[in-house]
Order: sequence, then structure tokens, then C-alpha cells
Amino acid sequence: MNKHLLGVIDATTHIEDLEELTSHRSVAAIPFGGRYRLIDFILSNMVNSGIQSVAIFPKFQYRSLMDHLGSGKNWDLNRKRDGLFFFPSPRLDKPIFGINSFEHFAENMDFLTRSTQEYCLISNANTIFNMDLSPLLDWHIDSNCDITEVQKNGRSINLFLVKTSLLLDLIHTRKETGYLNMKDVVTDLNSPYRVCHYSYEGYALTVDSISTYYAASMELLNREIWEKLFLQERPILTKVKDEPPTRYTSSAVVFNSMIANGAQIEGTVENSIIARGVHIAKGAVVKNSIIMQKTVIQENCVLEHAILDKDVKIEQGTTIIGTEQVPKILRKGSIVKGECVSS
Amino acid sequence: MQKKKQKIVAMLLAGGQGSRLNSLTKNLAKPAVPFGGKYRIIDFPLSNCTNSGIDTVGVLTQYQPLILNSYIGIGSAWDLDRKDGGVTVLPPYTASTEMKWYTGTASAIFQNLNYLQQYDPEYVLILSGDHIYKMNYELMLDYHIQKGADATVSVVQVPWEEANRFGILNTDNNHQVVEFDEKPKEPKSNLASMGIYIFNWKVLEAYLLMDEQNPNSSHDFGKDILPKMLQDQKDLFAYPFKGYWKDVGTVQSLWEANMDLLDDNNELDLFDQSWRIYSVNPNQPPQYISRDAIITNSLVNEGCTIEGNVIRTVVFQGVSIGKDSVIKDSVIMPDAIIEKGCYIENAIVSSGVKITAGSVIRPKEEGEILLVSDEMLEEMITN
Repeated sequence: MNKHLLGVIDATTHIEDLEELTSHRSVAAIPFGGRYRLIDFILSNMVNSGIQSVAIFPKFQYRSLMDHLGSGKNWDLNRKRDGLFFFPSPRLDKPIFGINSFEHFAENMDFLTRSTQEYCLISNANTIFNMDLSPLLDWHIDSNCDITEVQKNGRSINLFLVKTSLLLDLIHTRKETGYLNMKDVVTDLNSPYRVCHYSYEGYALTVDSISTYYAASMELLNREIWEKLFLQERPILTKVKDEPPTRYTSSAVVFNSMIANGAQIEGTVENSIIARGVHIAKGAVVKNSIIMQKTVIQENCVLEHAILDKDVKIEQGTTIIGTEQVPKILRKGSIVKGECVSS
Repeated sequence: MQKKKQKIVAMLLAGGQGSRLNSLTKNLAKPAVPFGGKYRIIDFPLSNCTNSGIDTVGVLTQYQPLILNSYIGIGSAWDLDRKDGGVTVLPPYTASTEMKWYTGTASAIFQNLNYLQQYDPEYVLILSGDHIYKMNYELMLDYHIQKGADATVSVVQVPWEEANRFGILNTDNNHQVVEFDEKPKEPKSNLASMGIYIFNWKVLEAYLLMDEQNPNSSHDFGKDILPKMLQDQKDLFAYPFKGYWKDVGTVQSLWEANMDLLDDNNELDLFDQSWRIYSVNPNQPPQYISRDAIITNSLVNEGCTIEGNVIRTVVFQGVSIGKDSVIKDSVIMPDAIIEKGCYIENAIVSSGVKITAGSVIRPKEEGEILLVSDEMLEEMITN
């Protein structure tokens, strides 16, 4: 199935507004939904649609992304033929222009020329959606398009379908045409190509700022939305951890929350996303917050509208209050005692 | 073909039916029975092996092996997918002259002597897939070597009043075994065999060959091999194990072992990162706890949707518990669906069972544990 479709994920995206979550990781590797990373959504969509060859082009801070993807085993991409390919940029100083930089692809032309797949799906790594991509290919062929751009409510979600041969042409001729990426091609009204727009009706949200990240996380608590994202027949796959089930003690009070395995809940949790291995001690109250992996919240802390990155330690009796518009963010590994209030 | 020589090879006896678990083992072998919210019983000995640095494990299957075999796969969940050794599932087979089932623990190993011979190990560890415990087999091997034993039997202290249910070892002050007492009426010791043995390979091989020739033997380690070794004045030692160990052979004991996990001071700490229990991860989304849910003193696995009231209960992956339902002192196995307004107490609800809205399920007798299966629910309706 879909042996004629090649997946290309551009993980070079750097977004200024996400700086606090990306000082040590790429946008693609931002933790999401208690156990996922942003890249899991597009990668799972590709795999669930039968794509067996996926190339990932990362640039900045890709250690955590590589650690997450490993051999691709969790996505069933550890194959003898095809599978998962990783192409970090050989140069860090060269500026990368927006998404899907042809320059970056050009440095790995061999892979693209050697691939046998007739079509190529090019995507960003920071859209949260669960989409069956097979109908897209049929539609693209039936509509006789050169390039198909997927849109949600009329806005691009940076997902493009082209013939691999056309992509190669675009890369080869980038100096003459001035096209730096797929976006340049589809937005050029004078381009010689037949550009189509495929309207995607399902749930999709591109994370491009702290506020979209926070909003997308909170939307997960809406049953209608998580039921659209987490489908049994098209599961979102991620790196599995051998964590025990979540432990709720007799003092735990939890509602309207999404909680991952390995968490130990002794306090109160409300409208929050709690990741794997988090410990919330007795008397602590966590509301409208996102708590990432292995973070520890000690006794009698109060957290509201906060985003706590991995391995944060909140010492006893600390209060952290953010707002819905400006959630208080604590960087990976921070240790906090006392008060912390965002404007 | 001769394989790379291994110091120790583990043989895990996983062919048991576990008939006292009733319908839980109708379609699967006892070692595959779900436990602790995400595990199967066999995860414990397999994780113990990998955590003890033993990477060559033969798993002997016989009864209802489909689920067990596909669960074990190539052993990658326990990091036992190795170039040398790793996990090998060993079912009974037909040889050129005869076909034989595994009739006893020793006969199962005897029929796989060729598996052991290809590794030519120094020691063989015999395990069973029936118990919940964490144990460092490497320490037991050190003890075996230090004692200069031919065989070492791991023992655990059981309450004196229950000693008559176990295989009891009587030892001298140096832990050397002087007598085997199978289910003694008047026990002289409360050291019960855990069914975990380390043998010197050459000694084991010789005794298995000898035992096979004996028409009166039941081909069992506890009843035949070890008593015969003792009779021949081989050096047998008891290895005293301290820690949590539980045979989960009955519905009652399976329920108890699950409840033990909810005890704040439980000895079987599943959260201990230094001795992880590995299992095949289902890769499901985090659990969703709704506005109406109340959860206290419980273990809940991923993929669950909880809208009801869950009290002192172990909930496996993919379970949904509807609004206004109350689940108390129970174990809910994978993918069970409990609709709105149910009341369930002191029960084990089997995998995939659907409990319709408003059902009340509790045992008639106090202290009894109800096993809820599709068959049982059908009977309830027809009665």
C-alpha cells in the first residue's frame, strides 16, 4: 500500500515565539498531550496511510528528536528496505528560509534521486491532526494537479503533494526560479504549475506560538476533539516507555484531565495535562496547566495556568500563577521555590 | 549448531493451565493472565531475567499458547531480542520416533535438552510463569557458586499455618537441604520452595537422562529430581528470598495481589526505576478523567475513559467507565466497557466484557470475589 508515496518531514522550523520550549529541542520535539511530541502526529499519519519511507530533515537542536525517533521502531519504520531516514543539515550557519527549504533538500539529493516512490508528500512537523492521506493522493491524481496544498478552513497547513520528479526539478532550478520552498511555488501566481487546494475537514491545529500550544493542549480536554485525534484504527504512535499505570492515592482529586502512565497523583488536578512520570504531592493543586515528563510538584503548591517543562522541581508551598493569555512557563530542569506570577 | 557459550540459561515453564483461575484461563495460558493494570504474569520473570543480566531464556509453552506466543514475540519488550541467545519459545514437538507432550516440569526440560546443549552453559535456572515477584537471580547464582552447590532452591518463609500447602524444605544451619517435605501434615520448617532452581548444567543433564529411564517417575523437579539428588548426597542448598512473592493461582489470590499494589507501603514497588517491570506497551492515548469522575486509591492505565467513581480498583488499558457508575475493590481487565450507573464491588471483570447500564455486580457472600465473564453474565440473564 502506498509504496509509491514518499514522506518528507521538514523539521527545520524555528519559531521565535516558542523559544522557551525550544532552547534545547526542535519544534518537532516539543512534548504534547502527556506522552507525545509534535512530530508524532504527521509521522503517524504517514505510517497509518501506508507510507513506508519517511525522510526527516532537522536543523536546530535535534538531539532530543533523534532520541525520540530512534530506529523508527515505534512507528514500524525500522525496515530492511525503506524506513526512516534522518538528514540533519551539514551546516548550521546558513540561514534556512521558512519551511521546506529546497537548499536543505539539495544537500541530500542522493536520497531523493534514489527513492523509487513516484509521489512525495512534504510536511511540517508541528501540526496536530489525524488525517488519512490516501484519499489525498487519489484526489491529486484524479484532479490532474502538479502540486496540491492541503488547507484547513482556507489556510495552508504546510502539507504538499507533488511528483517526486517535479520536486527534483524544483530543487535543481532553485537558483534560476528563486523558489526557496514549496510555499514560494504555491503562492507565486505566475508559476507554470497547476496548483490545487485540498480542503481538509477534520481537526487540525498548527502550533506556532505559546498561545496556540496552550490552546491546543486545553482543547485536548474536549472529548469531541480528542475523539477525533485518537482513533483506534489510526493510532498516534509515539516512543513507548515502560511506565507503570498511573497511581491515584486516597487523597487524590482529579477531574477533566488527561493523565499519562507512570504519574503519581496525591493532590488535586483540574483541567490539566499530566505527562508520564509526573509526581503531584499531597495538598498540591494544579489547575489549567500542562505538566511535562518527570516533573515533581511537592506538597501544598498551587499552580494555575502554568506550563512546566520536563524535570522541573517545584518545592513545597510554591505558588505559580499565570494567565490564560500568558501562561507561566518554567524551563526544563528549573527548581522553583516561593512565588512566581506572570503578568 | 553450537551457539556462543552462555554462563547461565534460564528455562521458564509457561505451559500451565491454571485451571483454578476458571474462565480467565479458558483461552490463554496462566502466565498470560493480565495483572497490575498493564502487565501479564510472565512479565515478572522475564523482566527479572533481563534485570539480572540473563539474556538467554527458553520459554516452554504447551497449554493455549497463541496469546502467550504472540505476546512474547521475539522478546523485544524485555530487551531479549539478541543476536546471541535472546528468547526462544519451546513448544512440545514430534521427534522422529515418537511424539510427546510435556508431562511434568522435568519432562519439559528433558525434551529440550538439545536447546540447552547448543549453549553448553555452566548453570541452568529453572523458573515458573506463575508468580508475582521481583528477584535478582544474579545474587542467587552468586550464592549457588559460593556454596559450591549442585542445586540451589529459592525458598520463602510462609506462615506456619499455611506451610502444609507448600513443598517445604528442611535445612541445617548452613542452609543445606536435608529433607524435602511435599505438603507436610506436620511441617518442621516454614521454608517453602518457590519453584525457582539453579542447577549445575552437567548435574542436571545427568539427572534428567536418569529420570527419563525411570518408569515410576512423575518427571517433576520437586517430587522426583531433587529428592533423588538428595538421596545421592548431592549438595543442595536453600536460598532464602526476602521480599514480595505471591502465587496468583486462584481468582482470590489474583485479586489480592492486585489489591496489594494499592497498599501505600507495598513491597512490589512498580515505580522503582532500578528494577522496571517491562511489558508489551499498547501505545494508547493518556487516560481521560472527566468532570464527573472521582478516583481514589487506584491504578489506571492508558487509553481509559473514566467518568464514574473508581475506589480501590486496578483498571487496565482501554477500559471505559460510564457516568454514575461506582467501582469498588475490583480489577477491570483490558478493554472492558462499563456503562452508566453500574455498581461493581469485589469483582474481577474479564477482558472485553461489556456491562450494560444499571447492572449491579457483587458477590453474594462476604469475602468472596466474583469473576465476571461473558458466560457468567449470560447465565445471570437467563436465571
